[in-house]
Amino acid sequence: MEYLVMGGEQPIMEKLKILTAAAKYDVACTSSGVGRKGNGQSMGNCVKSGICHSFAGDGRCISLLKILLTNECIFDCKYCQNRCSNDIPRATFTPEEICTLTMEFYRRNYIEGLFLSSGILQNPSFTMELIYRVIYLLRTKYRFNGYIHVKAIPGAAPELIQMAGYLADRMSVNLELPTAEGLRALAPNKHRKTILTPMRQIQNGIVENKNDLVLYRNAPRFVSGGQSTQVIIGATPENDYQILSVAESLYQKFALKRVFYSAFVNVNGDSTLPALPGGPPLLREHRLYQADWLLRFYGFRADELLDERRPFFNVMLDPKEDWAVRHLEQFPVEINRAPMEMLLRVPGVGVKSAQRIVAARRSANLSFADLKKIGVVLKRALYFITCNGRMMYPVKMEEDYIVRNLTHEKERVQFGSDGMSYRQMSLFDDGAFTRPLAEEEQLQAVVGQL
Amino acid sequence: MTVYRCEDSLEGIFTAIYLAYEEKRDHGDTYLSLNDEPMLFAEDVQVVPDWEKTRKVMNTLNCRFGEKDYLFLCMALAAEDDEKAQAVYRTVADGLKRKVNRGHIFDNLADDFVNKAFALATNTWREIDHLKGFVRFQELENGMLYSRIGPKNNILTFLMPHFADRLPIENFVMYDDRRGLFGIHPAGKQWVLYCGENERVPGDRTSNAGGLEGKLGKLKISEAELQYQELFREFCHAITIEGRRNAQLQRNMLPLRFREYMIEF
Ligand code: SF4
Repeated sequence: MEYLVMGGEQPIMEKLKILTAAAKYDVACTSSGVGRKGNGQSMGNCVKSGICHSFAGDGRCISLLKILLTNECIFDCKYCQNRCSNDIPRATFTPEEICTLTMEFYRRNYIEGLFLSSGILQNPSFTMELIYRVIYLLRTKYRFNGYIHVKAIPGAAPELIQMAGYLADRMSVNLELPTAEGLRALAPNKHRKTILTPMRQIQNGIVENKNDLVLYRNAPRFVSGGQSTQVIIGATPENDYQILSVAESLYQKFALKRVFYSAFVNVNGDSTLPALPGGPPLLREHRLYQADWLLRFYGFRADELLDERRPFFNVMLDPKEDWAVRHLEQFPVEINRAPMEMLLRVPGVGVKSAQRIVAARRSANLSFADLKKIGVVLKRALYFITCNGRMMYPVKMEEDYIVRNLTHEKERVQFGSDGMSYRQMSLFDDGAFTRPLAEEEQLQAVVGQL
Repeated sequence: MTVYRCEDSLEGIFTAIYLAYEEKRDHGDTYLSLNDEPMLFAEDVQVVPDWEKTRKVMNTLNCRFGEKDYLFLCMALAAEDDEKAQAVYRTVADGLKRKVNRGHIFDNLADDFVNKAFALATNTWREIDHLKGFVRFQELENGMLYSRIGPKNNILTFLMPHFADRLPIENFVMYDDRRGLFGIHPAGKQWVLYCGENERVPGDRTSNAGGLEGKLGKLKISEAELQYQELFREFCHAITIEGRRNAQLQRNMLPLRFREYMIEF
């Protein structure tokens, strides 16, 4: 079969293969955070909770056309296959090629939009300008109204980042490694400061934009889906406590929407990097995602989950169970009376089930059977709760005994997924009943059925 | 005991609920049935779907329980389940009797009917959520987009508004091959639903689509279509990280039953 050739000398199929493979280690493939109706004139809308369009062979969600603009790079980061010292096939998309692929994939419902990143061509500003040109073309000439996520290239001129921010739904600057020392060792051309500068710029831009929007309802939106970042796990010796504390301060000080954790894969076989004979540290990555959830939605602090003396997550227990068995003095809690904050700390009770418990106990005194109907995972919760003053079975409130029972079944959730799939795993708890529906949508839905 | 026998449609079930209230039945001793299975000591009432009565019920539910819960009730009725009519009826009766606030009809999850209706709606919601992502359109020779789906629940009506909003400038057709239902969206216009041979537009029951099913079967896909399918397949392949390969996780996230309709598998 002959493939489309658009402008360039290399066939588009060839470029797509190279530039997709080069982008695959960037994990932030979600399309969430922005709800935007279609405008009736052009292609696209955005759904607040994000949409997964497919799942790759590694079980990760495919939501966006995740590609690099080019895999040429002047830098030499040790962990990256695109580094300039590697002898690999290189390719560069033209802006028109990226736009056509995005539009054609989008109308066939393969994707929610575009996630564009890039190696550094010539210098950071030059690269950022290329990225800007692509999304400018996509938003204007192609009138694309779907989701766009672009990288802010550290070291690029602030004006370019600003301009891109008015066209993109989400921007991200990758922190790459949890600490400045790690960065110095593995990415000699990058500096912590150059990474944090655009992060701060985007944060300030978002805040200013919110104020503008209060004054002028039609002011253009700046990165309305918020910004995210990614940290590589296991390439450098930081412990879980350090990583989680970094994530916590990113949420607090930079108001990030998401921090993504990426289990290190040694693509270059570089001798200065860990060899990881057991494969990428997936369980560790999974525990970090779980803890990240606890920080953002369950009211936990990093130093409650880990500390200097216990800097790593428990392999057998998830971070919430681990916390609970170390704080048995606070349990059992009475389901019919406990405040929301405490319900959230019970293993086996998710955010949605906690809300449902609070709603349901207004009309009835809840029993264990009721909890099961509500969606509480009793197998895990039973050690920590009472219903009307009774526990489900007589259990010893004793750490060893409970740990033994909790770990009896083998690792329950399947790990190896990224943040997006983790959302999917807890779908019932995460959005089953929360998605707001637009009025027209409901009306049409109902009238249509008749 | 009174048994209302109604057809499996929003109109049939809402009309039955209307009648149960109009005829002042004891809700604890009344049953909504979607089939003809005889029941002992029961008084059978055949329900004739009625648009006026349906509209009144829709308005009441919408006002009393709020849009979100109302839509969730409709999703429960889109489920594939013999007991759905009864579950929704008793959930509504429970909500009206207890005078719940808007947005709180499903709070009482300890109640079996409320719980059942909620579970059905959640299940339907989840399938809608899945299909918003998993639907694949193919471009036909004339530029029209065509998609075939085979959902467990009757969700075409929930998918059409989503895609109409998203692709307003496209002519597209979605076909539910398990129910012989078509959703048709002409570019720039309001979408409509066709059922088998019969066009079903609200307020207009006379026009006819005339063997649309047969016509679509013969349609040819466009020249570029196969190339884009190939490009997307390559994309899915290239994005996979070999060191993390996990077919089980992939199957959990994307159940096999959907794959038949997706071009990348
Ligand atoms: S800057 Fe570093 S991480 Fe980015 S593409 Fe170049 S070598 Fe890879």
